[in-house]
Amino acid sequence: MPRLLSSALALRRDPRILKIPPYLSLLCILVGAVWLFLLPLNEYSRRTYISENALLPGQVHTYFGGSDQNVFRAYKQEVNSLVGKSNVEINDKLESIVKGLGLKTARQNFTYNAAGRTYAGENLYAILQAPRGDATEAIVLVAAWENAKHEVNKNGIPLVLTLARYFKRWSLWSKDIIILLSPDSIAGPQAWVDAYHDAHDSSRVASLPIKSGALQGAIAIDYVQEHRFKSVHIVYDGVNGQLPNLDLINSVVNIAGGQMGMGVALQEMWNHNDKYPDRLRTMLRGMLKQGLGLASGPHSSFIPYHVDAVTLQPFGEGWQDEMAMGRVVEGTFRSLNNLLEHLHQSFFFYLLMHRERFVSIGTYLPSAMLVAANFTIMAIFLWMKSGQPEEVPAASTPESSDKDTAAPTAERNLLLPLAVVTLSGSLSAIPLYIFNHVPESALTPSFYFFLVINTLLPIAISIVSTQLFTPTLQQFHLIKSFSLLLLGMFLSSLATLNFSLAMLIGLLSAPLSFVKPYSSPVARIVGFIILNLTSPPAVLLASAAVWGLNVGDILREAAVAWHVTGTYSAVVVWCVWWPAWLAGCVCVLGKPIHQEGKVKKA
Amino acid sequence: MKLSSLLLLPAALLGAAPSYAEHTSNWAVLVCTSRFWFNYRHLANVLSIYRTVKRLGIPDSQIILMLPDDMACNPRNAFPGTVYSNADRAVDLYGDNIEVDYRGYEVTVENFIRLLTDRVGEEMPRSKRLLTDDRSNILVYMTGHGGNEFLKFQDAEEIGAWDLADAFEQMWEKRRYHEILFMIDTCQANTMYSKLYSPNIIATGSSELDQSSYSHHADNDIGVAVIDRYTYYNLEFLESEVKDTSSKKTVGDLFDSYSYEKIHSHAGVRYDLFKGGAEEARRRLVTDFFGNVQNVEVDGGKGAETNSSFEEEMVKLSRTIAELHKRAEEQEAVERNVTTKTETRKQQQKKIQQQVAKPLTDDSWWTKKIVGATALAGCAALWGLGSYLEGAV
Repeated sequence: MPRLLSSALALRRDPRILKIPPYLSLLCILVGAVWLFLLPLNEYSRRTYISENALLPGQVHTYFGGSDQNVFRAYKQEVNSLVGKSNVEINDKLESIVKGLGLKTARQNFTYNAAGRTYAGENLYAILQAPRGDATEAIVLVAAWENAKHEVNKNGIPLVLTLARYFKRWSLWSKDIIILLSPDSIAGPQAWVDAYHDAHDSSRVASLPIKSGALQGAIAIDYVQEHRFKSVHIVYDGVNGQLPNLDLINSVVNIAGGQMGMGVALQEMWNHNDKYPDRLRTMLRGMLKQGLGLASGPHSSFIPYHVDAVTLQPFGEGWQDEMAMGRVVEGTFRSLNNLLEHLHQSFFFYLLMHRERFVSIGTYLPSAMLVAANFTIMAIFLWMKSGQPEEVPAASTPESSDKDTAAPTAERNLLLPLAVVTLSGSLSAIPLYIFNHVPESALTPSFYFFLVINTLLPIAISIVSTQLFTPTLQQFHLIKSFSLLLLGMFLSSLATLNFSLAMLIGLLSAPLSFVKPYSSPVARIVGFIILNLTSPPAVLLASAAVWGLNVGDILREAAVAWHVTGTYSAVVVWCVWWPAWLAGCVCVLGKPIHQEGKVKKA
Repeated sequence: MKLSSLLLLPAALLGAAPSYAEHTSNWAVLVCTSRFWFNYRHLANVLSIYRTVKRLGIPDSQIILMLPDDMACNPRNAFPGTVYSNADRAVDLYGDNIEVDYRGYEVTVENFIRLLTDRVGEEMPRSKRLLTDDRSNILVYMTGHGGNEFLKFQDAEEIGAWDLADAFEQMWEKRRYHEILFMIDTCQANTMYSKLYSPNIIATGSSELDQSSYSHHADNDIGVAVIDRYTYYNLEFLESEVKDTSSKKTVGDLFDSYSYEKIHSHAGVRYDLFKGGAEEARRRLVTDFFGNVQNVEVDGGKGAETNSSFEEEMVKLSRTIAELHKRAEEQEAVERNVTTKTETRKQQQKKIQQQVAKPLTDDSWWTKKIVGATALAGCAALWGLGSYLEGAV
């Protein structure tokens, strides 16, 4: 045992051991990435199942139909006549209809300012009080006048009105039903949900005059298609990558797919053959959406308040009509009505790859954690390395292990590294502020301006620091160590909140682990170019080019998301990723001064 | 208290009343242990058994019905005020004339065990008590969510198979039943009666260890399953074969009607506790448990007369013994009072109390002495034998 211990101690001082960490961290990244690609396999993913006993999806006959079809047509006529009118005019008409059904109605004004624009409107909502319920809980049926793509919800609004009329006739509701008709898909529902939970800024968003009980779930209908449809598309991404409870999605899949015989699609995978490539694509699309953290429909704003919500979009050419869609909603509402407590049995952290296949957090989290761990490993490695003298004397006597003499250590010069890391961290407030506060017209120019500055900044810092402080190799190691330590720390905690964002940032900043101050100018330039290709603005530009989007539009959406829905992706990009990138660039450009004589025995 | 135990003494001396005698009353304890809307079927199970035993003549006063939830008034119920156990909705189980004895959060393990063993406070109304005697046949029907050797009560607690077995044993000791038919419909139901050890119990359950019990069918307008398979097929038998109390169908016939094809789990039966075993148990009529009997035992028979006179004599005798002892002790106490100081009065009082209790155990005192002496002698002999053998080896 003592021999083993002493040999282990000797191993610790073995210079070869110091060569391992870079390979180890490369291995972490590779395993993390490969892990992700294994997930869609049958061995790693699981079939979905209903966990909550109370839901009992698809066990009820749905009776929506028959004369409701005529009611629907009448409402549709009314709604069609409102197209193109102002928000208030529309609400006047809709309110008179809803009031006519015998429901309590109320309106709510909201105004948001983002990217120099004003997003204002008036929400209309109505409460159907459960005839035998105790008004302590409520479920929400949402239809936005315009969907996320700004198309008029021509069938969704009349369908919700018809359903409200139909639901009013039933006496079996245990929870109140709230009908929310918002002018748009993002700001309106956000203002309403904020105000419902008294979490609104009352200078911009009006308080709600009437309320019901705690919200237990919400279904939004986004039905713009005029012809008969084939399948239902479930949109489930919430703000900041939060997801509704998997039981809700499973219930809708069960009711629409099982009971009604419709197709069910996720993540715009209109045709899904349940083979590996399609599963992977669905999963990656889901991850991308989750990573961006944007609101994807009226349901998104509900999820941060722990109200499980999805948006249902009929699509495709088929034989299902509006009544079938109504029955899906009826069935889902009957299931939600059965709930005794909040949905909590099933997963909140999952990646869906098919309507009936998912991986849960326990299975997928290690991949992001491994990627994040690679930064931490490198940070520790560099810290150790910085503590050793630069030039290990080749003929240093092999010290016997039982003599407990310490290895030579170098004194760490922390001032400059800490200053550089702090500087890059505090500079990150500038892009965060700029991109969230300049008006829309100035977004694109300021982006390109920032791109240039972003390229020049590391060079400037490098020149200034070289001129003023003549940094040593050890100091560069420490700069990198600190910035990677922060990066690893942030990403591993982020992975538990928004796995996809942590994974994306982790993979994009992977080169930061492996760049170092190069002595040859060519290597230095190549390293700098590689880093510039993976810089936050460059990635933004590249993704805009790939998806054929305008950079200005992307930035506007990001600013709106920041101001309206409170998306924090921008903070992660500018305050976690960008400073690490900046510190990495400074390291690559650094021309370390080799020092001698600083070796001392501790 | 003292008097009653004294009264019991001769009865104990007489030995248990002949168990093969007929029963004179029928009771039913019908327990549903789950609440919540999605467990609608459990309440429907119990209510349908309730309807059956009422149909076969057990009056409400002799039925203890435990319902933890009120499905009829649940807002989710599409047919307010009703409970159905069949999708045809022919019989409203919650219609007129229903008496729920324990409802809501009164349905607890403690209350159930207190009910069985009659350990209840004085304030407990008679309608909530199981007022059985040694001539009462009891049907105990339970349903809910269970597991290996436990049955969940609502969402907070569960009753174990041992708890149940001990409760039945207490009932037997307190001569609270003549025969029991224990019936349970839950997952892994048969484990619940595996620990019973008291005599004269026939037990049956819906499923074996590691087997689930399944629901029979759902009513798609109510939106939930309305009855479990095991109960459904029991009811089917009871309704088609046991049309009235004159039915001669036996418990054996009922058990033979169970099959895996119908119930989708292996229903179990336990006869070994019954006097006479399977043969005797199977011969019991279904109406012995599900129906009400009108058998009356008249105290006119020859045996009965001799018994009662003997009993009375014994009571008299024991009273006299007690009286004599009491007198002797009082005398003693008086003597002591004279000689000792007042400080020790309390101790004396304690002693007196002990002595007062003595007559009850007096006759077995010698037996105990003998048993003890024999045991000691036996031990000594064993020890001697052991040491002898050791020496021999």
